[in-house]
Amino acid sequence: MNCKKAGMLISASVDGELSPSEEQEFLLHLVECKECRIEFDDAKKTKMIIQEKIIQFKAPDALIVSIMQLSGFNTKEHEETLLYE
Amino acid sequence: MDKTDPTRQTKTRTKKESLSREERQKQLEFQNEAVAHLNALYNYALHLTMNPSDAEDLVQETYLKAYRFFNSFERGTNCKAWLFKILKNNYINRFRKNSKEPGKVDYDLIKDFYHTIKDTRSDTSESENDYFHSLLHEEVYQALHSLPEEFREVIQLCDIEGFTYEEIANMVESPIGTVRSRLYRGRKLLRAQLEGYANKYGFNNNDQ
Ligand SMILES: [Zn+2]
Repeated sequence: MNCKKAGMLISASVDGELSPSEEQEFLLHLVECKECRIEFDDAKKTKMIIQEKIIQFKAPDALIVSIMQLSGFNTKEHEETLLYE
Repeated sequence: MDKTDPTRQTKTRTKKESLSREERQKQLEFQNEAVAHLNALYNYALHLTMNPSDAEDLVQETYLKAYRFFNSFERGTNCKAWLFKILKNNYINRFRKNSKEPGKVDYDLIKDFYHTIKDTRSDTSESENDYFHSLLHEEVYQALHSLPEEFREVIQLCDIEGFTYEEIANMVESPIGTVRSRLYRGRKLLRAQLEGYANKYGFNNNDQ
């Protein structure tokens, strides 16, 4: 495998999206190529930073309530229909 | 004559009851499946709209649509991916068509976001002297938002939401190969941005 092909596989390898045979070939290249190894580490670190530093906000309570109502509303309606039938 | 037929009445009634049971089953399933992804959808909407009340509207609209079309959701596939796709379509239809300047970053808004929450996540100690760990949340956020949308989108869907390439390809309506290369190029761009911040603090990344 050359660097050009390895470069194309870096992200997929970081994300665990390579087939076992691709992965093996790719890792073999990393062992013998320092440049690609550095690129691979950089990509991995970049992913980690995003996962670590991008804060996930909690949805506002009002939104949660309104969505619960959305899927619960009809249930009540149906129960009532059954009761009055 | 049909009207007075008692057999017929019973039949109708049974049919109604079983329909409503089905309906209730659907609601339960919907609640379990869909509500679990509420936070993720809200955050994605925030990233897209950069505006909390727009984000709420978008999520609400998404759930309305999802509930209405829940029957068309393929059981056993990723419900989160399905919801994200609906949200994305809603966003395009609603905001993008008459948008002022898509992709424009409101830095004040970002700062507001980050100042309203305390940093509860302690930085992992696995590489203490790594300059990346000194980056602020809002810097990473800004770096991410400085990327062209096609790159930012795949990074978000992959790294934050944990979707597979196949799911992402379906969401952005591009082949998997395109997703692969966008992630590759997007991460390179992002890396360069982050290094800019790191250099600002006088960290030298050449020792790495
Ligand atoms: Zn190489």
